[in-house]
Amino acid sequence: MNAAARGPWRAVALPLGTIVAMAVLWEAVARGANISAHIFPPLSVVLQEAWKVGPFLARSVLRTFTETTLGFVTGASFGILCGVAFALVRPLERALFPLFVVSQTIPVVAFGALIIIWFGNTILSKVVIAFYLTFFPVTVNTHSGMLAVDPQKIQLMRAFGASAAQIFWKLRFPAALPTIAVALRLGISLSLIGAIVGEWFGDTVGLGVMLIQAMYTESVPRLWALIITCGLLGASLYAVVAVIERRVVWWRSDA
Amino acid sequence: MKNAEMIWHHVLPLAISLVLLLGLWETVVWYFDVQVFVLPSPSAIAAGVIDTWPVLQKAVLATLNEALTGFALGIAIGLVLAMLLVLVPPLEAALMPVLVAINCVPVVAYTPLALIWLGIGPASKIAMVVIAVSFVILLNALQGLKRPEEEAINLLRSFGAGPLRIMWTLRLPAAMPSLVNGMRVGIVRAMIIAIVSEMLGAYRGIGWIIFQATQQVNFLQVWAAIAVSSVASMILYLVLVWVDRKIVWWK
Amino acid sequence: MSSSDPAPRGSHAIPLLKLVNVWKRFGDGPSQVTAVANVDLQIEPGEFITLIGPSGCGKSTLFNMIGGLLPADANGSIVMNGVPQQDGELLGKVSFMPQRDLLFPWRNVVDNAILALEIEGVPKKEAREKALGMLPDFGLSGFEKHYPHQLSGGMRQRVALMRTFLFERDLILLDEPFGALDALTRAMMQRWLLDIWQRYKRTVLFITHDLDEAIFLGDKVLVMSARPGTIKCQETIELPRPREASVVTSQAFIAVKRRLLDAVEEESMKTFAAAEPPR
Repeated sequence: MNAAARGPWRAVALPLGTIVAMAVLWEAVARGANISAHIFPPLSVVLQEAWKVGPFLARSVLRTFTETTLGFVTGASFGILCGVAFALVRPLERALFPLFVVSQTIPVVAFGALIIIWFGNTILSKVVIAFYLTFFPVTVNTHSGMLAVDPQKIQLMRAFGASAAQIFWKLRFPAALPTIAVALRLGISLSLIGAIVGEWFGDTVGLGVMLIQAMYTESVPRLWALIITCGLLGASLYAVVAVIERRVVWWRSDA
Repeated sequence: MKNAEMIWHHVLPLAISLVLLLGLWETVVWYFDVQVFVLPSPSAIAAGVIDTWPVLQKAVLATLNEALTGFALGIAIGLVLAMLLVLVPPLEAALMPVLVAINCVPVVAYTPLALIWLGIGPASKIAMVVIAVSFVILLNALQGLKRPEEEAINLLRSFGAGPLRIMWTLRLPAAMPSLVNGMRVGIVRAMIIAIVSEMLGAYRGIGWIIFQATQQVNFLQVWAAIAVSSVASMILYLVLVWVDRKIVWWK
Repeated sequence: MSSSDPAPRGSHAIPLLKLVNVWKRFGDGPSQVTAVANVDLQIEPGEFITLIGPSGCGKSTLFNMIGGLLPADANGSIVMNGVPQQDGELLGKVSFMPQRDLLFPWRNVVDNAILALEIEGVPKKEAREKALGMLPDFGLSGFEKHYPHQLSGGMRQRVALMRTFLFERDLILLDEPFGALDALTRAMMQRWLLDIWQRYKRTVLFITHDLDEAIFLGDKVLVMSARPGTIKCQETIELPRPREASVVTSQAFIAVKRRLLDAVEEESMKTFAAAEPPR
């Protein structure tokens, strides 16, 4: 009642307060403890560095964002398709699902150089890596979500004379959505990782490129600026997926 | 009976599809005469593994060492932290936003910093694995430790149990399924992160071999290294599937 | 606190448990909800008291207060063996059994039954021996190594009851223990519970929303009113013990039932009406 009225405000104030406290603490520790800026620069120095490379940083964010989004959308679509196919066609599941599991133990980033040979040193090669990291969790969750549908509900639909297509669209797919949504939230984070690592293998712009450059020049303030930028990009992408999830899967607790 | 069923349902399909895939791959490479730098055939990769086995063996052991050390430390840190957050709720309210903020950053973005701070020896790789694994474990353990319903906790309280007792008797066993689940995700991630970190700078390890081989345009070596590391992480994964069955038998 | 020699029935020196003017309100200001209001009740050692009321009348709130899980509002008092009990002091003094069996899936029958003893610090071996000795009484012989998912609903409930009885406290609180069972199993469990109660000589406070069950089991039936829950009336049941299944068709039983039915029905109607959406 009272707490509910305070709820939204607290939900914003608490994390905001913690973040401000973290920033202040960072600045104070870095300055007070007199640690070399080479190891742990104060936040103000990091922000100055970010400002200095602003335009390049902005272009990099845009590039990495594009790669991540493309990889995520294609990977998620492919994952949902595979999951549905596996759930509906059991022989397919038996034959291919184990291969999918095995495929995930392959360190795909090790293929970075090969992927560039296959797909050229273009945006496509990064999208492919992001795609590869995204599709698997989505496949697994779509599959398990579709199979977890209460058999009694399916019986009920059949008793109402529903066709297979109707059962799919009216029951199985909506019932699987909450589980799929969990994988999508995981997938967007993995997709970003894929894009960043993909850029390590050669490109001229992107957050991954900047990370490597800053490492070779041992510019720790720039590394921190990039880490913060990556975090902000990751958080925003995650938030977008979470908001869409809440709109689409508002019932969630049904189970 | 149960074993036979297990083989029939899980091992056989995998074997068949694996054999089919490798056969198709071999045929395609042979028929279209695909260049090694584009795609070597499975038999060529196998030969490559055998030829360079002493090097690969040393490398995979180094990587396994980093991955498993980091994995063990990550489990310990993640689990202890999760228990602490459940036992002291105000701590969770204060720390969770910080943890979420740290977790928002894609793990790989920390790698350059880890290399500069800790050097290109195993320490930087272990640190990266710890970061990656402890978060997976922390989130899974938190979810699991909070699973018991209010009523079950009240029952133990009515028997006179305190928070520590409730943790040990109820919360920890109840958290086992999601904890083991987190470990399964974590072990694969540990191997991958160790390899990725090695690729950015190391003296040894699978990632280092891959990096060098790429520089020397020796793609057969890249494939051989990938094959060895994949088999290694697959074995680790299977061990955890087995652990899952053993520990979480009541499901 | 051991009850190996409970006070003989009928010695009315000090009641085992006494509630004086107990209230429980949730929230504050205009949105305050009164769950339990002005409850007075008294339980003598060895008695079997049943408490009946419509759903949502605050029965469970009352139970949680007696079990020490929820502090009562400051104006009343809960007195046990003549000693007033402060917040949390009742924890570990009352043997409490919630509605659901709440068996731990990773513990077998015996280990589930000894849960409370383990928490008290009784060595596992000793606790297990004690539990094994009780298995026949609870109809669980030969099932000691079984796990909850291998048991039927009635058996699971008996394991939960055994866990409650092994926690040897003067007062046992049972919150609709048979609510989830089918009618036949339920009738059997009721007769069995009376048998166990007479053999182990404990004091029982039993919540139910089934009037037949309340009369069949109790020495005394308390009727709780719709929210805010308070004791509306009580009826002493004079039916002879041990009670046979056929007692429910006797004239005496039906007479009592007729008297109580009106009170219970009236309260149920109130809850029903209150549940209608406001127009």
